[in-house]
Amino acid sequence: MKKIYGSFLAIGAMVLLSACSLSDDAANLYKQEVPLQIEAEVPTDIASGETVTLEAKLTRNEEPVDEANFVHFEVRKQDGSIPYPMKDAQPAGNGVYEMEVNFRSDGLYFFEVHAGSGDAISNPQYQFIVGELSESELQSLKEGPAPDAGSSGAHH
Amino acid sequence: MENDKRHQAARGKKKQDKGGQFYKSVWRWHLYAGVLVAPLLVLLAITGSVYLFKAEIENALYADYYEVQAQEERVAVSEQLSEVNRLYPDGIIKSYRPGETDERSSEVKIEASGESLTVFINPYTGESLGELNNDDRIMDKIEEIHGELMAGTIGDRVVELAASWAVILIVTGLFLWFPKKMNGAGGVLFPRLRQGSKIRRRDLHAVPAFWLSAGLLFLIMTGLPWSGFWGTNFQTLATNTGEGYPPSVWVGNAPASDVETQDIAEVPWAAETLDVPLSSVQGLVPLSLDKVVEIADAEGVHPSYSVFIPQEPEGVYTLSAFPPKAQDEATIHIDQYSGAVLADYRYDNYGVVGKVVAWGITLHKGSQFGIINQLISLFICLGIIFVAVSGVYLWWKRKPKKGMGAPKAPPVFKTKSFLLLMVVLGLLFPLAGLSMVVVWLLDKLVFQRTPAMKRWLNA
Repeated sequence: MKKIYGSFLAIGAMVLLSACSLSDDAANLYKQEVPLQIEAEVPTDIASGETVTLEAKLTRNEEPVDEANFVHFEVRKQDGSIPYPMKDAQPAGNGVYEMEVNFRSDGLYFFEVHAGSGDAISNPQYQFIVGELSESELQSLKEGPAPDAGSSGAHH
Repeated sequence: MENDKRHQAARGKKKQDKGGQFYKSVWRWHLYAGVLVAPLLVLLAITGSVYLFKAEIENALYADYYEVQAQEERVAVSEQLSEVNRLYPDGIIKSYRPGETDERSSEVKIEASGESLTVFINPYTGESLGELNNDDRIMDKIEEIHGELMAGTIGDRVVELAASWAVILIVTGLFLWFPKKMNGAGGVLFPRLRQGSKIRRRDLHAVPAFWLSAGLLFLIMTGLPWSGFWGTNFQTLATNTGEGYPPSVWVGNAPASDVETQDIAEVPWAAETLDVPLSSVQGLVPLSLDKVVEIADAEGVHPSYSVFIPQEPEGVYTLSAFPPKAQDEATIHIDQYSGAVLADYRYDNYGVVGKVVAWGITLHKGSQFGIINQLISLFICLGIIFVAVSGVYLWWKRKPKKGMGAPKAPPVFKTKSFLLLMVVLGLLFPLAGLSMVVVWLLDKLVFQRTPAMKRWLNA
């Protein structure tokens, strides 16, 4: 009798003491976001004077987004010398949006996509090089994260 | 006929014996648990009383760090961080807190040479107001005593054990308090002060303890979800059912930024020459903190939030607000490259259990209803100290010169109802249950075999 109670207590304690773990899909039981995913190709090996088509593909829940609320492309030069205005990108079907940009000079550039679909907003920013980098641009790269240009607050 | 009567009397006596045995078992456990747990309860009540007023105390202590003159223009967050980087070149920035009012400084938490510091920045000038080492903050110390006796995991378990045993004290205490005959409210609802010192001593423990029991039980049950063992398991179970906190609010990880590592632009080290292939610096660059703060404003997060800065390439920015009122809580994860909101958990998104726990926590901390909440909790804390002290005093006065003065222990398996009660409590509070098994084994293997111990403990 005693032994039964003792082992019952011991087993009970063991079961409860063995820490339970969080199930992987627990997040599915709560409110879920459907973020707007943007994939853009960063242009490589561009020379100044070249015209390049920038593209970004928008998806939500792995479905292409052709009816985005807005898709703006913004290109700036790191040193701020050439301000390209933010422009509407043109839908090219299958969730892809595009815009042609002519690069007038060498340097370090940023390409930022501003897009919204439903209540989701996304604006990834890419860094890329046209031609050769100047000394000051090399320096800024070494100093770390990209500086933030103030123009992008327009959508908030 | 005569036989029948005798039989009945014998049965009655037997029944009384059983009741008496049960009563003695309860008394015995209440006494031993009480003597062991009382000092810890007093410590928890004292530290808890102080911690209730954390906000007021810190506002007074750190006024020079907290208060700034409101001005028209704020300095960009990224510039505030640059200033911190300049002052602490080796510091790793962990989080940023903008400050909930216009007169409040912003705070940057950093790790520098193994220490965690909070740097206070005047958001209108961008200048540092000074730093505090988090290890030197008195309220942090008090919290550490309250939560883990400043002894890490072991301390955490000891506090949890004390809390679990305090529940056992309440249950056994209520049983001992419960009047066996209805003789009016004296000694039940109010203490009998003029019927001799013995009755007075008993009533000054039992009656206030009864009145306090609900408050004490509330503080224990709202404090336990914090604990490392019971709390973590409870939270995990609740989250798994869909009725607790959403994952990452308490247990579980934040989602990861949706990114392929090769798409991220590399940052060459400052000291190195730039001989990495230039193509590797092309790619996604992280969002600046300025934008994260913009997103926080757009999402309507309570202004007391902090931003936790991602430390890994696939990490996320996390906006976290745990303000005084549970309804204002928020945990939002933001992709560190695109600024996309990956998860947005507010109080309304908690499950039922999560909501109850959230309320429990803000009530426990005394912040939910402000000063009234603080005063009620303070009253309960002071009451706990009184009951713990009066309980120990009661035992000290009653106990014989030799021995603990506990009633003789009936064999554990003779009193099934008592055993059942302890098993149920032991299963609900496994750490306490485990300690019961330890006590039981100690009793069997040591106390019963050591005559001096057996006599002293009346085992």
